Amino acid sequence: MIRSKILQFDSGDGTPAGWLLLLLLLLYSLPLDTIAKEAVSRGLPSAAVLNPAAELWRDVRQRDQPTTGSTQVRGVDSGVLINAYGDRWRKFRMQQLIPIGGYMLMGIVVVLAVFYLVRGKVPIEGGESDRKLPRYSTYERMIHWFIASIFLFLAITGLILLFGRPVLIPMLGKETFSILASACKEGHNLMGPLFLLALILVFIKFVRRNIYQKGDLSWLLRGGGIIGPKHVPSNFFNMGEKTMFWMLVLVGSLIVVSGLVLVFPLFGQGREWMELAHVGHAIGALLMIGVIIGHIYIGTIGMEGAIEGMKTGYCDLNWAKEHHDLWASRAEARGEALSNEAVGQLRDLDPLPSSLGARTQEAGK
Amino acid sequence: MARMKFYCDPERCIECNACVTACKNENEVPWGVNRRRVVTINDGEEGERSLSVACMHCSDAPCATVCPVDCFYTTQDGVVLHDKDICIGCGYCFYACPFGAPQFPEDGAFATRGKMDKCTFCAGGPEADNSSDEQRKYGSNRLAEGKLPLCAEMCSTKALLAGDADTISEIYRKRIINRSASVMARGVSYRDASFRAPYNAAGKSSAKE
Repeated sequence: MIRSKILQFDSGDGTPAGWLLLLLLLLYSLPLDTIAKEAVSRGLPSAAVLNPAAELWRDVRQRDQPTTGSTQVRGVDSGVLINAYGDRWRKFRMQQLIPIGGYMLMGIVVVLAVFYLVRGKVPIEGGESDRKLPRYSTYERMIHWFIASIFLFLAITGLILLFGRPVLIPMLGKETFSILASACKEGHNLMGPLFLLALILVFIKFVRRNIYQKGDLSWLLRGGGIIGPKHVPSNFFNMGEKTMFWMLVLVGSLIVVSGLVLVFPLFGQGREWMELAHVGHAIGALLMIGVIIGHIYIGTIGMEGAIEGMKTGYCDLNWAKEHHDLWASRAEARGEALSNEAVGQLRDLDPLPSSLGARTQEAGK
Repeated sequence: MARMKFYCDPERCIECNACVTACKNENEVPWGVNRRRVVTINDGEEGERSLSVACMHCSDAPCATVCPVDCFYTTQDGVVLHDKDICIGCGYCFYACPFGAPQFPEDGAFATRGKMDKCTFCAGGPEADNSSDEQRKYGSNRLAEGKLPLCAEMCSTKALLAGDADTISEIYRKRIINRSASVMARGVSYRDASFRAPYNAAGKSSAKE
């Protein structure tokens, strides 16, 4: 009965539509297992065997791993049919990095603003004294401002590239922003490797004073003096500064290494490596920017006298006693404290600017 | 409006790479850039399949989502294009694309990325149709002339199809029905029904059981 119907349809038009009906009839008029059993009894393989290619395409689309084939096109990853990690990276960038990163940075600024409104600028309680302690040598200040300027440049260019599309394109328009973004990208790529040099110089110069010591834990437990009425004694660097140093070294290294993976796409690193590097680079950089915002806050509006050492090389004796008592007492006992007048004379005689000037003059002649 | 799509039929693709060559020639793409490539999976083994891959002109394109300068746009024909005057060559589209379509010519020292280049569905770019600027930056604009992409137009086995999604899916649907029907009619399993030249003597079934 069914067979005659099929024949009718088949002889009727013979178009693919007819064949479709045939298939549908076969599928719906009989249970599938009956077909299979019949086929087995007739000594034929089961008709329900899937297209072997289906397995292949399922593998390709599962996205657990990239399916790699061969191709005549020479290039990194050119044999990968589906980039299994691209979608994950897109979700990370669009749904996590940009919104969460943006809110995190805004949150840090808001928290610092609230802290400033509540606490105000931390004053030197004893007032400025008439004596100063030498805190940073010219070389130390030079490498500090070297790494600081490179960091600020990289942070600003990086943030423009990260948040430019949602924030700046509505203000500037695509064409203008493209010029800015292009300059930021080139500048970021150019200055990035210099950050490695600055990081090495800073590490070598400051590492000894940043090794954690006895007393650092109590500094942490008292929140660096925020909790409780009194200042917490500390050595040349306090626990917070040491932690910032080690974050700079460790997170900074992560940023440098991942940045180098991204900036030189000529070592055969594929997309997976670059996506991974980008994730590390972005998280590390945002983290470090957050830390540095706090660092800049203390140096500028957060605390009286904090930036003096890095600006002039000398810090106020009372400030030193309040914030770095262990170091200040030792330095004072060694007789390092100088009167303000003496410091003024020394700064006037600072050999570096004059010798630099002389050399420039000579070169000019 | 039409929604333009590519479809490559792996049962038909013979890995002749003519689509790759045609694309390179038609669009004068820079050295090191291949807008289209043929990938062969299980090369030399049973079940070998080849596929010609280029930009698939996604309806919701990941490249356009992640682009930091927002240089992508979708034409009325559903073709995903980009503006090379805005592109900064950051490479993010290349990370996000599932198909590896975005390509970067080397520009300067240390393999610095130049402006991104990818398949345009032979539809040029934002410049005036078939202007010299468009030709120089994006290659040919066949769509403006009422022609389909050259890769698909000259595919010898018609494995690579390009055109309106409705038309292409209709062609492919008919192919699938024919294949399934021939499997049923011959009373063999799909595995044994070779749609290509059989491995063994002509006409003889390759069924082992």
